[in-house]
Amino acid sequence: MLYRDALKKAIDELMEIDDTIVILGEDVGFYGGNYRVTDGLFSKYGEKRVIDTPIAENSIVGNAIGMAFGGLRPVVEIMTVNFSLLAYDQIVNQLAKIRYMSGGDICIPLTIRMPQGVAKQLAAQHSQSFERIFASIPGLKVFTASDSITAYYGLKQAILSDDPVIFLEHLLLYSQDFLFYEINDFDITKQRIVKSGENITLVSCLKILHDSLEAVKEVEKKLGITVEVIELTSLSPLNLDLVYESVKKTKRLVVVSEEPKTGSFTSEIITKVMENCFYYLDAPPLRITAEDTPTPYNRKLELFSIPTPDKIATKIINWGREHGL
Amino acid sequence: MDYEITMPRLTDTMESGVIVRWLKSEGDYVKKNEPVVEIETEKAIQEVPAFKDGILKKILAEEGQEVDVGKPIAILEITKEVPITSPPKTQEEEISVKVEEKITPEIVEEASKIGEQIQQQTQAVKEALASPYAKKLSADFGFPLKELQEKGEIPSPAHEKDIREYLYSQYIDKDTLKDLKQYSINIDKLIKDLQGNLSKDNIYRYIKENNIYKLSDIPIFQKRLIEHLSKSATVPTFHIYEAINLKNILDKKEFTITTYILKIFADVMQNHYRTRIYYGNGKYRIYPSSNISVAIAVDEELFSPVIKNIEDKSLKNIQEQLQILREKAQDRKFDPEDFEGGTFSISNLGMFGIDMFDAIIPYNYSGIAAIGIEKNGYVNIVFSFDHRIINGKDAALFVKELKEKFDDVEYIESLK
Repeated sequence: MLYRDALKKAIDELMEIDDTIVILGEDVGFYGGNYRVTDGLFSKYGEKRVIDTPIAENSIVGNAIGMAFGGLRPVVEIMTVNFSLLAYDQIVNQLAKIRYMSGGDICIPLTIRMPQGVAKQLAAQHSQSFERIFASIPGLKVFTASDSITAYYGLKQAILSDDPVIFLEHLLLYSQDFLFYEINDFDITKQRIVKSGENITLVSCLKILHDSLEAVKEVEKKLGITVEVIELTSLSPLNLDLVYESVKKTKRLVVVSEEPKTGSFTSEIITKVMENCFYYLDAPPLRITAEDTPTPYNRKLELFSIPTPDKIATKIINWGREHGL
Repeated sequence: MDYEITMPRLTDTMESGVIVRWLKSEGDYVKKNEPVVEIETEKAIQEVPAFKDGILKKILAEEGQEVDVGKPIAILEITKEVPITSPPKTQEEEISVKVEEKITPEIVEEASKIGEQIQQQTQAVKEALASPYAKKLSADFGFPLKELQEKGEIPSPAHEKDIREYLYSQYIDKDTLKDLKQYSINIDKLIKDLQGNLSKDNIYRYIKENNIYKLSDIPIFQKRLIEHLSKSATVPTFHIYEAINLKNILDKKEFTITTYILKIFADVMQNHYRTRIYYGNGKYRIYPSSNISVAIAVDEELFSPVIKNIEDKSLKNIQEQLQILREKAQDRKFDPEDFEGGTFSISNLGMFGIDMFDAIIPYNYSGIAAIGIEKNGYVNIVFSFDHRIINGKDAALFVKELKEKFDDVEYIESLK
């Protein structure tokens, strides 16, 4: 199933059974969405439930918060995370705080969907990854969708959550076709093992997860070992039990992300693993991230600035050889 | 300018090769036609020369790596001048003279200071380090990790692997341990199950009792052989059996029976062009001369090099050629052309006392003759033919003429 179809299926199925769910955002209605995620929903549910907004991110989120106050369950699409900065005051000062400051009286069941990451030559202002920016705000849930399964089940759980959820997607995943099968006990807050292995635990999410999976093939061949790959589905709440269990088995941790290195969310994962599994580690954890630089426009420089399957493989192989594999 | 050195196609059928050894390192200057790397193909190990003068800028394929034909294995930077890594002798002498002149007590003092610093630094590096898990593990086993590292019995920094290896070496002797690694066996479990009685005999008894298998890599020679034989097995084949009279050549001591057989086969092949056909890419390659490949087994490997133009060669010449090929097989140092141009093959298991057997046709050859042991002046030969190349009637005529030639005293006597 296409990633974008999985997202649409989740929204559509919930809209059918719950009248309070409304979608709003730039071009989500008549045009069917910039990434065709909401294609067909405008004609099916009408302009009152599928709302085209002006190009004004702060007011989109502000309006959606007001709708939630009034009893609706809004699903906001922001064109990319880069523009969410315009709504950052609404997100941080209102959305994340209202339940706490109302003594738990007012819930905001609001989901903000938005894609992030390096696509292809969209230049510095349109290629950012913001895991750390949202996951570090108490009061927000932050989920990611790396394939059609997490897209479908994850978005459903996000929309059904009575607390605000930032739902991160990736620009390059929308048109990808992923294997889809039904899971009965899917829980997005628990993370997910996508490949089991014995000697290295690799943690990643979104598009770079797939690059990592490709790199893992080479790593396994070269080092003669197996790698366990865990998809991070929920950055907040951050339940890493699955990761701890895996690291206790493999003794080695690799975290791969498209964020620039310094202060990236990988640091949080590594710190938590150090706190919980220090005596089980047989090597210093390895961080593979983008360079600490604005993403270049030039294609060669762009690829140079982010992890690619080749680079991920080389880094893991060298690190493994240096540290007793 | 940078040039890619790619995996060359050294034989017709080669699809990939394994890097055996780099004869040059990164940064080395190589001259045109100077060997750069040794490559193992399905047939042999060969040296690959540089095609241009230049500096070996980067090695892309490691030793032991298998690379497809045409894929880059190194980058050669084409330069006309030799880099100044080895300056001419006269310059060297000049430099050393200058240095001598300038040595003063201060310099000597400074040098010894630097020496001390370096020594201190290297000592700092030797500090016993270990990963958290290695420390935990050695504490669990009750090893004095630091002491063992200072004695050099466990390396620094130590990892889980080093601790386990040390633990195992306490119980199990080196050679057995090395051998054990080839088995699909959990050594922790083995130690636990055998409860301290880890003598060699006991370990192998354990392996046998638990039916534990040994995992063995298939050498590239064998892999290619498997590929080719599997392809051969898809070829429509038919067999002809015939007892051939050897009485006329048995008393000829000067040359071996194989030499005679090759010569007679080659002569007869001249009258049956279909035995001189190689089936390639949906077309027949019809060779004018009789080129026969001979199966040579060395240890566990099998080679089938080709002797060409046998019909024009003297018996002495054929025998010499056979000897050269056997020597090449021993050293595994064939040339690519040793495997080209064959259309028919001979395999002989007679020396092992085998009465009769059939052989698999080398892929795309017209046929093969499987030769058994000589008994009462006769030898059993089973011919296998590729039906895509030759039909039953033509094959029968070929075998019939062969038989007549072996019976023909006058013809045999005329062979030189």
